[in-house]
Amino acid sequence: MTTLTAPAAAPTRLRRTLALAGAETRLLLRNRTAVVNSVLLPLLLVAFVPVAGLGGDGPVGPRIAVAAFAVTLVFLTYYNLVTTYVARREELVLQRMRSGELTPGEVLLGTATPTLLVTVAQVLLVLAGTAVIGEWSAPADVVLPLVALVGGMVLMTLLAAASTSFTRTAESAQITTLPLVVLASVTSGVVVPLASFPDQVAQAMRLTPIEPIVELARLGLVGQTWDGRSVDWAGAWAAAPQPLLVLAAWIAVAAVVAPRVFRWAPRR
Amino acid sequence: MQLTRPRTDVRPRGDVGSPAVEVTDLRRRYGDVEAVRGISFEVHPGEVFALLGVNGAGKTSALEVLEGLAPASGGTVRVLGADPVADRAAVRPHLGVLLQSSGLPADLTVRETVRLWGATLTGARPEDEALAQVDLTGRADVRVRSLSGGERRRLDLTLALLGSPRVVVLDEPTTGLDPESRRTVWGLVRRRVAEGAAVVLTTHHLEEAEELADRIAVMRAGRIVLSGTAAEIAATQPATIRFTMPAGAPALPAVPGAEVVTAAPRVVLHTRALQPVLTRLLAWADAHGLELGGLQARAASLEQAFLAVADGADPS
Repeated sequence: MTTLTAPAAAPTRLRRTLALAGAETRLLLRNRTAVVNSVLLPLLLVAFVPVAGLGGDGPVGPRIAVAAFAVTLVFLTYYNLVTTYVARREELVLQRMRSGELTPGEVLLGTATPTLLVTVAQVLLVLAGTAVIGEWSAPADVVLPLVALVGGMVLMTLLAAASTSFTRTAESAQITTLPLVVLASVTSGVVVPLASFPDQVAQAMRLTPIEPIVELARLGLVGQTWDGRSVDWAGAWAAAPQPLLVLAAWIAVAAVVAPRVFRWAPRR
Repeated sequence: MQLTRPRTDVRPRGDVGSPAVEVTDLRRRYGDVEAVRGISFEVHPGEVFALLGVNGAGKTSALEVLEGLAPASGGTVRVLGADPVADRAAVRPHLGVLLQSSGLPADLTVRETVRLWGATLTGARPEDEALAQVDLTGRADVRVRSLSGGERRRLDLTLALLGSPRVVVLDEPTTGLDPESRRTVWGLVRRRVAEGAAVVLTTHHLEEAEELADRIAVMRAGRIVLSGTAAEIAATQPATIRFTMPAGAPALPAVPGAEVVTAAPRVVLHTRALQPVLTRLLAWADAHGLELGGLQARAASLEQAFLAVADGADPS
């Protein structure tokens, strides 16, 4: 019987993913416009604060950082990944990459890596920037914002993968990503505070995908609940279960939907 | 036109151990359309198996199951004894795939592309060797974007063979290549086969199938309608005798076993018994002192057999 023997020196999952991630990062760095935009966007966001004369009660830095979480995750992570996945699909690169030893998950993660790295870099740039302009204050908790960032990146990656199913070309991503962008703008509490909505509406908004990320970031960085109450470390954690659960539920739903609707090759 | 009954099972000659690829009653359905309607074949180590057929015959749909890129709707596929979809992790290190159309990141150089792919494989061969094999050494630092179509195809092929796979699936490996590149590809495939690999390929070039394949199957509308060696497939079609009857010659007598396709003066005969028919014809011409102008006698070609069945109606 011709059988399979365990091959010698098979690359680990990590090594395979890093190989693709390294190549994708090199591709990103070769695109000067993308690199400049990645750095410029967070710096402009920070520079906007003194220019617009924001501030007032207490340092505004943490609130800027919370806004940066939402803006970066939606406009950079989600939008960029929809564009990248669709472009790679239409160029037939995704199909090529999954015809070897890379698993489908490794292909998607490796392809997403540069975008995810830029996401983290942008959030760090905003945090550093607010310190530079003297608007920084110590967070109430660091774990909740970290969970928000990592969970947010996982959710955005999965939602981006799912969104490619109704995005035919990289250009049409400008339109197909609008529903989430609009939903996030209205319901995340970044643009309009949730407390200014009727309670039932606000509670419904707390079940949308981006809001729990903002809520967790705000609890940790600002020490403030979704309805504006100031909390300390214990208070932040006491208010955290609902947004944690909602975020986990969205990740679970997206993890089920994304692999079912994702297409690796263009429609023929 | 009468064909011998086509074989739809494809068995290799003699006992050569267990097959590297076993396909049994494979089916693939897209909604209401059944693209592959129950095909079976085996490919053994050291053997090249070619799937022929017009576009839309179901070749690529069948290969996608072998490649582990799509599940079968029915039947089974075994690559080295394992299911290429369910046992993906076990099969992939031994499988080399060249897709019919595939892309590579346009802004990586040739060398970076080979390095990337090699880093994802078990036991990848050295970069320089892989580049030299497909004559791309001089193009190593050129971005994929700037390669010609033929160069890109050669790069793709060297990636498919980079892990020294025991099973190689090549979907139209030489489409769009110039004759010299095509010979380079044939050389690479032969070398891999000599090292014991089993190769499944599709092609639109019948001379490529004749050149490379030990066995051939012709698909039509999702089924294998003809299979065997190139010679066996050619033999399903009658041989042809052509000549021009000289002026004033007596009428050609009926020759048993020969069918007159075109009558005098430009005679075309079809026969499945070329030698005896030709002998009788020549004896008759000799007896009447005739010289048959432009006399040609030739066995059917693979191309003739292919054209006779490949584009026909659904046999069912």
